[in-house]
This record gives sequence, C-alpha cells and structure tokens, in this order.
Amino acid sequence: MAKETSTAPTTTVNFITWVKDNLPVVIVTIFSIILFIMIGFKGGAPQLLNVVVTGCMWALLATGLALVFGVMNIPHFAHGESFMVGAYIAYFTFTPLNKIFLSTGSKFLIYLGPFLAIIAAGLAGSVLGIIIEKLVFAPLRHRTKEGWIMNAFLLTVGLSFVLTNGTTLVMGPNFRGIPRYFDVPSVEIMGAFIAVDRIVAAIISLVTIGLLWFFLRRTKLGRAIRAVSQDETGAQLVGINLDFIQTFTFSLATGMAAISGASLLFMFQAYPTVGVTPLYFAWYVVMLVGLGNVAGAIVGGFLVALLQSGTQLFIGLSWQSVVPTAIMVLVLILAPSGIFGSEVKGVQEQ
Amino acid sequence: MLELKNLDSGYDFLQVLWEVSFTVEQGEFVALIGPNGAGKSTTLRTIAGLIKPKGGDILFNGESIKAKAPHLISRMGISYVSEALNLFTDMSVQENLLLGAYAVKEKETQLKTLDYVFELFPRLQERKDQLAGTMSGGERKMLAIARGMMSNPTLMLVDEPSLGLQPNLTYAVFEALLKLRKQGVTILLVEQNVNATLDITDRAYILEQGKIVMSGPSHEMKANDHVRNAYLGI
Repeated sequence: MAKETSTAPTTTVNFITWVKDNLPVVIVTIFSIILFIMIGFKGGAPQLLNVVVTGCMWALLATGLALVFGVMNIPHFAHGESFMVGAYIAYFTFTPLNKIFLSTGSKFLIYLGPFLAIIAAGLAGSVLGIIIEKLVFAPLRHRTKEGWIMNAFLLTVGLSFVLTNGTTLVMGPNFRGIPRYFDVPSVEIMGAFIAVDRIVAAIISLVTIGLLWFFLRRTKLGRAIRAVSQDETGAQLVGINLDFIQTFTFSLATGMAAISGASLLFMFQAYPTVGVTPLYFAWYVVMLVGLGNVAGAIVGGFLVALLQSGTQLFIGLSWQSVVPTAIMVLVLILAPSGIFGSEVKGVQEQ
Repeated sequence: MLELKNLDSGYDFLQVLWEVSFTVEQGEFVALIGPNGAGKSTTLRTIAGLIKPKGGDILFNGESIKAKAPHLISRMGISYVSEALNLFTDMSVQENLLLGAYAVKEKETQLKTLDYVFELFPRLQERKDQLAGTMSGGERKMLAIARGMMSNPTLMLVDEPSLGLQPNLTYAVFEALLKLRKQGVTILLVEQNVNATLDITDRAYILEQGKIVMSGPSHEMKANDHVRNAYLGI
C-alpha cells in the first residue's frame, strides 16, 4: 500500500517533465488529433481517407529526402525530377503493356499491368540514382568536402534544370497521362466512394515505407546506412565502404520517388515539371520535422496532409498551399531544427 | 608488422609529421608519447587512412597501405579507437558492437567475440540495450575500445584512452589493454598518462614537434633524464 502511494506522485512528476521536454511534439500531437476529429465531423469519411492517402504519398517522398540528407548531407532539390522520371517510365511501360494484356483478355494480366509499370519505374529510378551519384556527387565528394552542403544544394538545383529541360527537349511539353490504372468501379469505405487507384497508391506507399523501415532497422546493410548517417568516420573505421553506402542510399531514395511518381500517374500525369509540387510538399515535411529524420518524415507526411485537408475544408481550396507554408515558417521560428529536432552529425561538424 | 618510413603528413597546408619512421613488431605493446600538438593523433589517423600522407610510406605486414581507403585498412586487421570515439550515438550498445564486427562474415565468430567482449567489460553487457549517446564518458570509452575489438584485429591503435577518465576507470581500461595483449593483439598506444603507460608497455617512441626524438624500451625511457624532466615531472 505504502509503496503505491509513494510511486504515484513520482509518475505524475515524470509525466510532467516528459511533457516539458517534448513540448513541441505534445502540442503537435494534440493539435493533429483535434484537427483530425474536426475534419472527420465536417468532411466525413471521404476527407479522412483523403488525408490518409495524401499522407502516405508525402511520407514516401519525404523519407527519400530525409534519407539523402541524413546519410549524404545533400539538400536534394532534384527529388521531384525522380518523381517525374518515375511517372514517364510508368506511362511508357503501362500503355503498351495494357494494350497487349487487354487483347489477351486475361483479368489477372490486366490487373498485373499497373504493378509491373510501378516496379519498372522503381528499378529505372534506382539505376538513374546510381548514375547521378557516380557522375555528379561522387566526383565532388572526392575532390573536397569543404562547403559541401552549399555545393551539393547548387548541384541538385542545376540537376533539376537539366533533367526538366532535357525531358522537355526529348518528350515535348505535352501531358501524357492515363485516366486510371484499374478499370473498375470505386469501392465504398465507411460510406465514402474512393477510387481503387488511390487505395492501391496508398498501399504501395505504406508497403514501401514499411519495407524501408524493416530494412534500416533489421538488416546489416540498413544498420550500416544508419551508422554512416550518425558518424561517417566511425563507419569507415569499422570497415563500412562509404562510397558504396552513399551510392546505395541515393539510388534507394531516387527509386522510392520514382515509385511514388509511378503510382500517382493517374492523378498527376507525366510532364516535364510534374515534380515541382510534390518536391515542395516533401520539403515542407522534412523542414517541419527536422532534416535527416526518417521516422519524423513519415509522421510529418501525414501532418502536412492533415493541414492541407483542414485548410481546404475550413478556409478554402485556394489557401491549400498558403496555410501549411505559413505554419512551416512559424515552426522554423519557434523550433529551428524542426518539431522532432533531429541531430544530423555531419551538419553540426561542418 | 607495422612500419612507417619517413612519413610526412598533415592537414591541407599544415604539415604536422616530418619524416616519422618507426616500427611495431608482432605481439608488441608500443607507446607513442609526446606533448600536446606533437602529432601523435595525426600519426594514428594517417595509419588508419583517415588522412592521406604527403610523403613516405606505411607498410603493414610488408604491404603498403598509404593509398588505401580507411574501410579497407580496417578490414586488413587494423583497428583504430579514436580520441573522439566516433560512436553511433543513436544506436544501442549492442548495435554499436555488432557494427564493429561489420566486416566479419560468420555470424558465429561475431557472437563469440561479443561474448568475449562482454566478459571483458561486464558493464557493457548490463547496458547493452542503452543508447550509446546516453552513457557516461568512461562507459563510452570502454564501448569504443570494445567496438574496436569486435573486428578481431591484429593491430590496435588506441588514442588517449584515459583522457577525461577517473583513475580507477583508467586502470580498468589499461587492464583491458593488457588482457588484449595477452591474446596476441599488437597495440600501439598514444597516452598522456606517461607514468602508467611506461609501466605497462614494452617500448616507447617520443614524438616532439612532428619528429621522433627518442626511442627505446619503456623501463629505460623511464630512467631517462629528458623524459623524467619533460613528462614525469620528477
């Protein structure tokens, strides 16, 4: 009895100190829950589902950004172009494949088509990532690490221009798109009708993030990637090949963005500047939660989606980009290293 | 086993080491001592491949390693426990140790070394699930040495293990090094605690202003006038 009464106050005190230590996280959690419930009341299930689907999408893009920044210290402003490449690859794989599969009449093959296109986009994205890393970042890294973040940032911006304009040159500025991946009626979830394509895109995002999480936490290579992001020198000293890990990480991030672009082809279509909007939203996410924080990026993806939906519902559609940006500025003023205040060692050393 | 031949090294335009030459034989416990800024850490960092030498050569078992990448040098059996420790602070003690055995392919060997390391540092076993960044300075130092042992190295370069440690922890660290040496591991130790270092090592080199000024068996060095005046304060 006596023991119970004595532990009760300490747990309360512990809880209060914990809240104090994690004040930004607590505020954000409470705020998001309130917003989620409010959106649920006003917009009902369709809006809530919308939040989940959009959230998955931003989360997938943002994890790629967070990974590249965490491991390589590159503020990646050409991430949207990986998205664009993914969309194009998916378009050029899916359209002919679909024609062939439709002519066979096999239902299995017709439903398989979109997945093949998305996988092809992911693979092509990874290869593109390897090429870019070996051609652009590796030479710079070997020459000098001085002013690395600024140099890398300028390189990615240049890369973005080259890729966008190169695509315009080859493909033309036209939109290439598909009306839908799966030619089936929408399904009803909680009284709301939602297109199968959106559900599939959300599931693909979730599965990809889940696989990435498992890979980083449970495998030897994943552990090596985290080691490099925490201490480059230490990683080299235990025998980790820095060059390999960096190329691999970049390829992984590019592949993930390509998967994202491919699975959202029905929504965004494929055109040279398609990557701009997703890129900016992915950047909102990583700035909101802290650069280089992979776990935070997943949460942040849903946060930004929540903000977007909330703005749409309560303020107006045209404010959709304004309010999240304004909130991001506020966050940067109040908590400059992001809500979850990640520590990227490489940045602090420089 | 390890041979430095007229090694010149430094950072950018600042040359720190001037024609440093010394050898470490198989199974020896050798100390490298000298005042602050003499280039002791630079010597170790150059051997580990973190700094590329400007001139001279480094031979390990007869093979030149001066142009090799750090991870390849580590895989050849040279383990460098740096002064900054370079731990993976957001990972648990166990994860840090397993990463130490990154280049070891066989899972069984990894676990066997892990058991051995835990036996040597029981403290680490108690805290194996704790994040490395939340441990005390002494525990972190032990973790760094333990991580360095996980790759089953034949040569260990240990940089200032007693820096910032209370005396009884310092002895614990030195005892661990002696145990390692009994296992047949060759050790090159850089230390500020000259008195204790000369007690436990076989030979010592004295590095001053980037040059080797003196060398000999540790017990003879302890009797040397220059060493007594400059480092032992007697």
